[in-house]
Amino acid sequence: MKPAAFAYERPSSLDEALAVLGAHGSDARPLAGGQSLIPMLSLRIARPSVLVDLGRLSELDTLRLHDGVLEIGAMTRQRRIERDPLVRDHVPILAEALRFVGHPAIRNRGTIGGSLAHADPSAELPAVALALEAEIIVRNSQGARTIPARDFFLGPFTTALRDDELVVAVRFPTLRAGTGWGIAEIARRHGDFALAGAVAVLERRQDGSCTRAAVALFGVGTRPLRATASEQALVGRPLSTDVLREAAALAVDAIDEPLSDVHGSVSYRRQVTPVVVRRALEAAVQRATA
Amino acid sequence: MQLVAISLTVNGQPVTAEVEPRMTLADFLRDQLGLTGTKLGCEHGICGSCTVLWDGAAVRSCLALAAQADGATITTIEGLVADSTLHPVQQAFWDEHALQCGFCTPGMVLTAVALLQENPNPSEAEIRETLSGNLCRCTGYQNIVRAVRVAAERIQSGRGS
Amino acid sequence: MTLQLLPRGKWVGARVKRVEDPRFLTGEARYLADIQLPGTVHAAFVRSPYGHARIRSIDTSAAKAHPGVIAVFTAEDVAALPPLASSLPIEGLVPTPQPVLAKDKVRFVGEAVAVVVAENRYIAEDAAELVQVDYEPLPAVTHAERAMAPDAPILHEDLGTNIVYQKVTTLGDVEGAFAQADRIFRRRFHTNRFVASPMETRGCLSIYERASGQLTFYSSTQMPHMLRLFLSLFLDIPEHKVRVISPEVGGGFGQKMTIYPEEVVIAYLGKVLGRPVKWVEDRRENLAAATHAKEQIIELEAAIRADGRVLGIKARLIGDGGAYSFNTASALIEPLAAAGIVPGVYDIPAYQHEVIAVCTNKAPVGAFRAVGWTAAQTARELFFDEIARELGLDPAEFRRRNLITSFPHTTVTGMVYDSGSYRESLERALELVGYEELRKRQQELRQQGRYLGIGISLYVEPTAWGSEIALQAGFPFPSHDNATVTIDPTGKVRVAVSVHSHGQGHETTLAQVAAEILGVSIDDVIVEHGDTDRAPWGMGTYASRSAVIGGGMVALAAQEVREKVLRVASRLLEVAPEDLEIQDGTIFVRGAPDRSLSMFQVAFAAYLDGRVRAEGEEPLLSATKFYDPRATYSNGCIVTVCEVDGETGLVRLDKIVAVEDCGTMLNPMIVEGQVMGAIAQGIGGALYEAMVYDENGQLLTDTFATYALPTATEIPELVIDHLETPSPVTIGGIKGIGEGGLLATPASVAGAVLDAIWPAGRRIEQLPLTPERVLSALQAEREG
Repeated sequence: MKPAAFAYERPSSLDEALAVLGAHGSDARPLAGGQSLIPMLSLRIARPSVLVDLGRLSELDTLRLHDGVLEIGAMTRQRRIERDPLVRDHVPILAEALRFVGHPAIRNRGTIGGSLAHADPSAELPAVALALEAEIIVRNSQGARTIPARDFFLGPFTTALRDDELVVAVRFPTLRAGTGWGIAEIARRHGDFALAGAVAVLERRQDGSCTRAAVALFGVGTRPLRATASEQALVGRPLSTDVLREAAALAVDAIDEPLSDVHGSVSYRRQVTPVVVRRALEAAVQRATA
Repeated sequence: MQLVAISLTVNGQPVTAEVEPRMTLADFLRDQLGLTGTKLGCEHGICGSCTVLWDGAAVRSCLALAAQADGATITTIEGLVADSTLHPVQQAFWDEHALQCGFCTPGMVLTAVALLQENPNPSEAEIRETLSGNLCRCTGYQNIVRAVRVAAERIQSGRGS
Repeated sequence: MTLQLLPRGKWVGARVKRVEDPRFLTGEARYLADIQLPGTVHAAFVRSPYGHARIRSIDTSAAKAHPGVIAVFTAEDVAALPPLASSLPIEGLVPTPQPVLAKDKVRFVGEAVAVVVAENRYIAEDAAELVQVDYEPLPAVTHAERAMAPDAPILHEDLGTNIVYQKVTTLGDVEGAFAQADRIFRRRFHTNRFVASPMETRGCLSIYERASGQLTFYSSTQMPHMLRLFLSLFLDIPEHKVRVISPEVGGGFGQKMTIYPEEVVIAYLGKVLGRPVKWVEDRRENLAAATHAKEQIIELEAAIRADGRVLGIKARLIGDGGAYSFNTASALIEPLAAAGIVPGVYDIPAYQHEVIAVCTNKAPVGAFRAVGWTAAQTARELFFDEIARELGLDPAEFRRRNLITSFPHTTVTGMVYDSGSYRESLERALELVGYEELRKRQQELRQQGRYLGIGISLYVEPTAWGSEIALQAGFPFPSHDNATVTIDPTGKVRVAVSVHSHGQGHETTLAQVAAEILGVSIDDVIVEHGDTDRAPWGMGTYASRSAVIGGGMVALAAQEVREKVLRVASRLLEVAPEDLEIQDGTIFVRGAPDRSLSMFQVAFAAYLDGRVRAEGEEPLLSATKFYDPRATYSNGCIVTVCEVDGETGLVRLDKIVAVEDCGTMLNPMIVEGQVMGAIAQGIGGALYEAMVYDENGQLLTDTFATYALPTATEIPELVIDHLETPSPVTIGGIKGIGEGGLLATPASVAGAVLDAIWPAGRRIEQLPLTPERVLSALQAEREG
């Protein structure tokens, strides 16, 4: 199971990488961690003419906190993010989500930029980005633009990235003190892609009522989805068991283009969507303090 | 045909080579360096038989191009110990009957070595979670998990209190 | 010279660490892919993307012109090679010859159509893409019952049917049993198609020396001598010029217990091209084209007395054989083996079975650990659980009321169970799992809306596949195996055996037998296997035969060598041989241990001191012995405890208890390893693994992303316990071990899940029990 031949570029800087992409357009594919792309090359599902190895772009391997935002460079390895104290302290949901991503060996090489650009509908990181309303910074030779997560993921393995653009960083708003968060997913085996998954972020008042709710689904549609009906059913209401259950039931409304494969049909994923949403919400409620 | 120059360290030895861009690290180690201890079980990154240590961290060598390994320090199963002794993980695998056909063993051993370097006292659940990225069709995993626990205990006591 | 008793001293029965492990731990062990010879060229097969199609034409010109390509062959180019077919002498079985490269037609996705040989595998795959095959797709049939319909697409047109075997056998007074029954139950099961998936895929390397006409063929195979025989016949190379070497093999489980079209092609290419030709199968090929297993449609009917006694059973077993009634054992391998074991450990006096074998547009079916028996066990145990519940009986109690309790016992199918511990294994397993407490806990949890389940799977396992047991199981297979034990001049022992290890630890267990009998340390014994130049002739390793057959033949040969040693020593020490003992490599006079010689001294003298030779004696310290054992059956009981998540259908396994009885154990550590590995495969078959084809014969599960093997997090705590009921008919009382875990675990796990969600209104008749299937069954319950 060997890859088909491709031309290989190994730029030493971001500008060089962008110039190469600009020159080759859709014939070129960027190679970040390779954990998703290389199997596709080996299975000959992906056959780029040019592979642009981003491995030397250490300028994109960054993780810093500024102005209430955790900014992570696209080439930062998932394993580093999982274990970094800044992440644990300020965007702990990201560290937790990474525990579900494949296995440690995958995370040792996989990058955050790669995961977001790959946009697997069953992946956790895009859903976290969506729930947290992260901003994805992309660049081409002409300049940079900032794409909110909700505009970034367009369909299965499809993003708003143009052929000559690279994700260079993602900015996560840090979680306010007292924010509750939870992730729940159903997978057949540990590390598998989710059959259904939910990311929940909640803020509440002293009196227990919800002031903010973000619920993102993964594994059930062709892209990560915000369950806005669920969110609306939570804001302003007490976070009781019944409220959570009702809100969770509304999550299926968000599924416009459902996902189906040998592991789980459309109908199964729809059935269990309220379950994962409710469990993610329950975990979030547990963690939330006023 | 385009060739890419790479310069890396493998099992403590400097290696320079020119490789086709599409050659995987696994094939480079096996076919070009003759280090056949690293096995190919699936070539799509799921079975873990191809695991090597890359700058000390466990990675799937079938999911890396040799070209990407320029500048890396790679350890394969052959380089785990310098002489003819056995690493505590290898010894524990032997003592606990943690291998049958042996095909998944190099990958399992290196994954366990990397785990114990990061987490010297892992619980059974942590061991199973880490090893869930390495498939074994022969043993049912129980002896492997126990071997990792035994190795952990021995390494810790070996260092004294 | 027979030897009923195997001495139990230092070695036999001990938990000896495996002597072979160091080379595997250090990466020095060489499997097929690791063998690197200068000048080797590499093959890649072009495989059918269609489940059923005519081949209109093949154009290899672009492939041949690709730089780095040595040759491209199609069926036309290998016309000298005959097709493969099962030669099983069973009346009414229709053979379906399989060409080594597809000719005129392809019948399953993955069937080899052409082969490209190039300087390396990368180039070979590039060129394989350039081979232009003009296919005319045909309608495909992927369901066995549909394949039986008169208007089904026909795979082998000259047969005019897809049914290659159909036979009804009536044993005992079946009509009477059903007439007397108080209740009659019926059930249908469609067991899932799942596969061996060893971590090492198939592969072979063919080296032909033109000057001498010698073929050396390396293959990851379980049967080196049989492969040598077939290659000699297929390639028309004199057998004495064929050497087959099975190097380290990374798992076989029956999938490598056959001759494959690819092996014949690669062997031939080596002969024709004059360079070593190597083929290493990739995982996608292995999942698509290496033999599949386990899929049957089994319909059971039982005549039941009010007290729970089973009076009679009727079974219809349809084996979904895939595209070819595959060579070695044919498409009967699943349903016929299953038919024999349906009665199992239960005393069933009347039994009728209809065995049907059908071809479908899927990969051919072959052997996989507990072949045929897994499906039968799963169907019968789940059926019995249901009957028990309908009668208001505890499933364990239902089983008790029907158990065979005295031995030897001849079943209605003609199997002679030599000895067994069916009742004891059941009680022991229930005791270990804490059955009474669990049933109470189950009730408590039910009140809380939680679903705890307990599954019981009680099994008997035909083992040690020799001639007698093969016949009892319905397969007239020959059996011939030999061991040669030799002591060299310095007293070191070589044990050459025809069984080959692919993970079972023969280098240790068989050394234990030799060491025990010869009185030496296993450090002084080496076991040779896998190379037809070094190992004596035999059938290979499969069907749990190596402990009995390997152990038995090594014991016989070692005993003869021991007697030679004692004769030589007796002359040196001037005592009668009966007065001598051997311990730790020292031969000494009983009662006078200072009068002794080392094995070195005795062996040296045997070879080089003419004074110790006697008239008419063969002085060489070597003996070769054959062993074809009487039929012997192992047994056990596997109990699973699980909890089902009522909202998602996910199954969490809490614990599995396995009590197994394989008679005398050579090495309990190895026995446990085999049991645990087989249980893990059974968990795979129960919950995770399925080969799925769509109605066009497209394979949807051709990578590890879609074919889900269980990992360390899916296997619960396994508690293994042993009973030892020696066989009265084998050397040392040894019985075979290795398959029971896969035979019985799917029934145990599925039984636990069904027990958890009982009383589910809708039954589950299809494995694996994916979360979707379980949730669906639970929901049927809720909806009433």
